[in-house]
Amino acid sequence: MGGRKLQIALYWGAGCGGCDVAVLDTNEFILDVAALADIRLWPIAVDGKYRDVEEMADGELDLTLFNGAVRNSENEHIARLLRRKSRLLVAFGSCAHMGGIPGLANLATKEEIYDRAYLHNPSIEPGNTTVPLAQTSVNGYSLELPRFYQRVFKLDDVVDVDYYLPGCPPAADQVRAVLEVIVSGVLPPKGSVVGAGDRGLCDECTRTKAEKKIKEFRRPWQIMADPEACLLEQGILCAGPATRSGCGARCPTSSIPCRGCYGPMPGVVDQGAKLLSAVTSVIDSKDPDEIDAILAGLPDFTGYAYRFSLPASLLQRSVRS
Amino acid sequence: MDQPRIGVYVCACGTNIAKVVDCDAVVRAAEGLPGVAVATTYKYMCSTPGQEMIVADIEEKKLDRVVVASCSPRMHELTFRKAVKKASMNQYYLQMANIREHCSWVHGDGVEATQKAIGLVRAAVKRVAFHEPLESRMVAMCPNTLVLGGGIAGLTAALELADAGYQVYLVEKADHLGGNLARVDLTAPHLDSARDLLRERIHRVMGHPHVEPFLGAEVQSLEGYVGNFTATVAVPGGNGAGPAAAEGDDGPTDGGGATRSPRTLEVGSVIVATGYREFDASRITHFGYGKLPNVITSFEFERMVREGRIETVEGRQPQYVAILHCVGSRSQEFHAYCSRVCCMTALKYAHELKSAVPGCYVSDVYIDMHAFGKGCEDFYRRSSEVKTLFLMYGKNDYPVIRKAEPGDDCGMLIEVSEQLSGELIEIPADLVILMVGMEAREDSAEVARLVGISQDKDGWFIESHPKLDPVATTTEGVFIAGTCAAPKDIPDSVAQARAAAARILGKIARGSIEVDAVFAEIDEEACSGCRICNELCPYSAIEYKADEKRSRVISALCKACGACVAACPSGAIRARHFTDEQIFAEIVGVLA
Repeated sequence: MGGRKLQIALYWGAGCGGCDVAVLDTNEFILDVAALADIRLWPIAVDGKYRDVEEMADGELDLTLFNGAVRNSENEHIARLLRRKSRLLVAFGSCAHMGGIPGLANLATKEEIYDRAYLHNPSIEPGNTTVPLAQTSVNGYSLELPRFYQRVFKLDDVVDVDYYLPGCPPAADQVRAVLEVIVSGVLPPKGSVVGAGDRGLCDECTRTKAEKKIKEFRRPWQIMADPEACLLEQGILCAGPATRSGCGARCPTSSIPCRGCYGPMPGVVDQGAKLLSAVTSVIDSKDPDEIDAILAGLPDFTGYAYRFSLPASLLQRSVRS
Repeated sequence: MDQPRIGVYVCACGTNIAKVVDCDAVVRAAEGLPGVAVATTYKYMCSTPGQEMIVADIEEKKLDRVVVASCSPRMHELTFRKAVKKASMNQYYLQMANIREHCSWVHGDGVEATQKAIGLVRAAVKRVAFHEPLESRMVAMCPNTLVLGGGIAGLTAALELADAGYQVYLVEKADHLGGNLARVDLTAPHLDSARDLLRERIHRVMGHPHVEPFLGAEVQSLEGYVGNFTATVAVPGGNGAGPAAAEGDDGPTDGGGATRSPRTLEVGSVIVATGYREFDASRITHFGYGKLPNVITSFEFERMVREGRIETVEGRQPQYVAILHCVGSRSQEFHAYCSRVCCMTALKYAHELKSAVPGCYVSDVYIDMHAFGKGCEDFYRRSSEVKTLFLMYGKNDYPVIRKAEPGDDCGMLIEVSEQLSGELIEIPADLVILMVGMEAREDSAEVARLVGISQDKDGWFIESHPKLDPVATTTEGVFIAGTCAAPKDIPDSVAQARAAAARILGKIARGSIEVDAVFAEIDEEACSGCRICNELCPYSAIEYKADEKRSRVISALCKACGACVAACPSGAIRARHFTDEQIFAEIVGVLA
């Protein structure tokens, strides 16, 4: 990096802000970052205007950490802008990586979302039909809002992405490790998933694995889980087998089933389908009625299996309106 | 990947495909696909000129992939694999598109069937580009053979192999050898003694240095694969070889209470010759079997003949005997098939009756007289000459047997709607012999499961090909012979037994066997040790290495069913020849 301070930007698209907190969770390391880098844009923590970015030369930024999915025209505009200004663009966190929790909105169309959020909602006053419009006129002034897209996109649906740092949010030690690698200048191949392992989470999880047979699915609150045994074997739907390691298996270690935020294993096209096919393979019954009864213990399987990856899946979105 | 050079061969299959699918249109569509260097159609691709066309094109047009659009790969994949191999191309660079069973045979609309055929060809072209060269594996062939069943087929097969110098383990469920044939007196059409046919064979089997017979024994499990099976056989009383015998723990030996100890046998091949059971005549109520004491089955009559006393339960010589054909066979209600041996056996009974009870009247009540087979038609002619009364009844129009009135001079009366005269005829009978048909044994499903073979709708074991491969099964190394595959007579059973033995001797002679290169493998770098796959394998081919926390496929045991591949949540299990990219390419092709 030629002795020059690293020029970096952090941006928050359609997300919850947790990724920004994850950066802060690196604790005092963030001070080292500040010492090594000029933070040119970080809406949540540092003052800065889009105009400042627009005025930069192309490629002036060394690195952008982009968290959040692309839900509206503003997200896309900034994604394209930062892509142009940055030598390296990292999809930071599950939403930028795979669409994340906001991506579950792809189970509904834009019209259904508007109807539910703005028109038919218990907290809406009867008769109030206000919905967000891209253009509106107030007292002769024209006001503009970002356009709400039909679906949620992951970051690489709209711009070229150099690296993916998965997690909801990424584990702080992994954030730190990735930043250190980038500072070192010894970069992994473009397109790599960084800050994560190459095996399934079960590899990191310390619970004892036996041959799997599931007779009943249970929610975590329904049982006192055995602290040593594999959660899936206890009937608790754990996405660990279908999820990349790298987080340190902190959820299953705390008796919380893995939710799959680190995404699928390398080479796996559809994380939810993989989880579905794995879990249903070990259902311990050959009787169709009994199997139906066992599967009834999995409410909202789509929401569970695709919790972070719907826009990145083969399903992508609902097209019915 | 460089652009492949694909040859596409569209088979007309005579008119089988061409009468519905426009083969020229399929060729034209294939020509426009990326990577296709040559596309053509031919009347019979599987014929020698058809295969030679592929071989020549591979050599002259420098093809590196071949797509054959024809019948099911179950029919001719091996044929075309051999053809491309002849041209020094790796045999797995072949892909078939099934435009016969999946198109022309199931669709009437030529336009739509042609569109579908084009879609399937597109899919095959897309897929074949991703094919990888695979090498078949050679595994050692264990020369020992397990024969299930000690009837005429099992005995014959065992002796054929043992005489060639190879070890045979003969497992018979009953406490004696001979099977159903041991229950028979004379055999049709030459009236040879069944006892003579069996005695010599049983004697030789019991004393043969290369045959170890297990009587009253049952196979409990069969694991492994062609050339390398391990069978566990429950042997009564320990048989001196098992550990149980050493303790003198004999236990009761009567009936089912006998103690059994398992013997583990290493074998390379299995011959299933488990035979049949006879139809339960009491299922047909018109015949009164079980209620009228002088209505007996053919096997009960055989016992009478063997004991030398043909008489009614009252101890009288019967004056009128009726023989009723097709009991349980050729009927919509019971078994639709012909049991094949009963017609000639019935004629044999007429002969035996006429010589044992001179002056008795024999009526032969039949549907059709099936007298195929060497010497059988002649036997039928001779039987017609010994004054047997032949009466023809209609299929599913059962004769009715009832007890006679005190004034009649016979025990029973049979009412037959006689087909040739068109009249309702009543005939007298003191003894009625029901020619019970053959049916699959009650334990046939269990045997099929144990050795991994299939059954047809009637329960008979299914051969690999009904005409061209009648004693092999779809499980390599497992053969079927005799009546467990379908009703047949003694010559056919013996021929099958010897054929199965010959197939096995051929494999033994080669010393090693080629195992398909298609199997699943686990990338241990990607396996997380989650153990989802462990219980899924129907062939127990997956082992979990606890120390490394990784699962592994024992490739020789794998039959490439793909269950673990689909289930592996890490995508760490890969099925050779069925990789994700190959399957996705196929889907893209079919949807394009």
